[in-house]
Amino acid sequence: MNKFTLQLRVKQSEGALVRILGVTRRRRFDLLRLTADTTEDGHFLDIQMTVQADRAENTLVRQIEKLEDVSQVEVIEPDEAGGERRAARSTAH
Amino acid sequence: MKGAEFLVKALEHEGVEIIFGYPGGAIMPVYDALLDSKIRHILVRHEQAAALAADGYARATGKVGVCMATSGPGATNLVTGIANAYMDSIPMVAITGQVATSLMGTDAFQEVDIFGITLPVVKHSFLAKTAAELPRIVHEAFRIARSGRPGPVLIDLPKDIANTIAEYEFHEDDTNEESAEPSKESITRALTLMRESRNPVVYAGGGIGMANALDEFRAFIAATRIPVVATLKGLGALPTTDELALGMMGMHGTKTANHAVQTCDLLICVGARFDDRATGRLNAFAPNAKVIHLDVDRAEVGKLRRADVPVIGNLRHALKALTCKLKDIEPWRRECTASKDTHAWDYAAPGTEVYAPGFLKSLSDRAGDDSIVACDVGQHQMWVAQHFHFNRPSQHLSSGGLGTMGYGLPAAIGAQLAFPNATVINVSGDGSIMMNLQELATLRRYDLPVKIVLFDNRALGMVRQWQELFHGKRYSEVDLSDNPDFCRVAESMGIPAFRVEDRGDVSAAIDRLLAEPGPVLAHVLIHQEANVWPIVGPGRSNSEMLHQHEVAREVAR
Repeated sequence: MNKFTLQLRVKQSEGALVRILGVTRRRRFDLLRLTADTTEDGHFLDIQMTVQADRAENTLVRQIEKLEDVSQVEVIEPDEAGGERRAARSTAH
Repeated sequence: MKGAEFLVKALEHEGVEIIFGYPGGAIMPVYDALLDSKIRHILVRHEQAAALAADGYARATGKVGVCMATSGPGATNLVTGIANAYMDSIPMVAITGQVATSLMGTDAFQEVDIFGITLPVVKHSFLAKTAAELPRIVHEAFRIARSGRPGPVLIDLPKDIANTIAEYEFHEDDTNEESAEPSKESITRALTLMRESRNPVVYAGGGIGMANALDEFRAFIAATRIPVVATLKGLGALPTTDELALGMMGMHGTKTANHAVQTCDLLICVGARFDDRATGRLNAFAPNAKVIHLDVDRAEVGKLRRADVPVIGNLRHALKALTCKLKDIEPWRRECTASKDTHAWDYAAPGTEVYAPGFLKSLSDRAGDDSIVACDVGQHQMWVAQHFHFNRPSQHLSSGGLGTMGYGLPAAIGAQLAFPNATVINVSGDGSIMMNLQELATLRRYDLPVKIVLFDNRALGMVRQWQELFHGKRYSEVDLSDNPDFCRVAESMGIPAFRVEDRGDVSAAIDRLLAEPGPVLAHVLIHQEANVWPIVGPGRSNSEMLHQHEVAREVAR
């Protein structure tokens, strides 16, 4: 099992969170942990989610980064591991 | 000005000429606004046909297809057509009426969460919340539908928003839709692999046609002289009569195409996605090949098969950059083309009944290069793919990814409306035709001269074939011997029809079909046990193709 954590930024738009969770489920990744918060300007949602699957993390990263309203996807070390976040992959529309 | 008028005006601004749809309660403001528009509305008889006709229109023209339905059942009836477009990356905008904003979430009459229902099968979707944002939403929807890897986009429009009066603000086109050029580094690495290869094969997918890259693709093949195998959607990227075209690969591919892929040392995948019907058992697919994968959608590269060199971006740029002369592949090319001759189709089948492959070959020879073929799903679909000649992918409208029975007739309607003077042929089966039979009434209403070839084996042929070959002849729910009289059904809807029962009558039947100025249906009886050959069994490698004579031998043993 491959377990990893994603840091996402998505535009506050109809169904934004559901869309991301939908892609995650459809691509057969199990959700283990999720936190989400609106950015101060109210325009975006910052999401951190930990998932696991037999599939490679890129399978999910590349599907999520295709979503129209997603502006950022990074694979990070989970917060509880402490210390610096490691940006393994970053994209922007 | 009302929101509904905004919507229609914005559609006009996007260059929409035709909308396929069906009215109902929540979408009525838009239908009212359409009365004052130059956009032509085509009234189908079931919303699924509206979405599938928009899909056929989009495939035939390369433009964005537009369909429309009311809330609730109207919207849910669109879903299969939206999913069909999603699976085959077809640019489409689907507009649904929705109950008024104040009623949303109250289980109102004809309320359904179409936004939620379609999330897995759209490229993007919008719920209109104000009338003022409608021009922007429409513009965005069209941009998203056709840019990069195309796909369907949904606009859900609540009735109160459609009726709101607001100031129309024209939305300027300010976006660059051209997808990115591939990296120089990826091109260099790809060229190195190409020069090292002795047995390269190009695996041509639907992306070539959709990227408008036919010229670049053909120039690439003409220079490199690499043999080409095609997916269902890639047929015609190189004319199927070209010396280097080895035919379709995969489950019902040609022996030559599958053998070439299985033995090649380099597979250059152009706008395709390693679909299971194309690859057979994945871990046995092209076992000796390095892979160069050209695609505009980065998510497809490495999804199922690791690419040694990914070339991500615009196919036109990528193909142009890879166009070069290759030395040392002449022996391989000769081997491939010689195999084509060895394994050429044999149309001399035993018996006196109509032989569908032979019928289609003759029809293709006579219908010419300007014809468009829309098929349904099943055995006849594979026979079309195997035996029709295509000189461009937009000539072949076939539901590849979703495999939607009932696709053909609506798709033919969409194509015929786009090209009123073209010979548009719907090849169907006695199972599939019943899935959207009501659209015969649409043919009549608009007097669309679609030629329907209905192959009738009184069975769900493809399922029957699988039950015969892979389920020990345990036939389950495939008998359709109680079919209606299809000629009388057609005639009752004002479509002339005739029956073809004997192989000797095929030539005259094709004459009659093509000579008819309006719509016409040829009801063609074929043998119930006619199968599609060759076939790769489910879960088998493409190296293990079953051929008719081999299976006959097994049975005899």
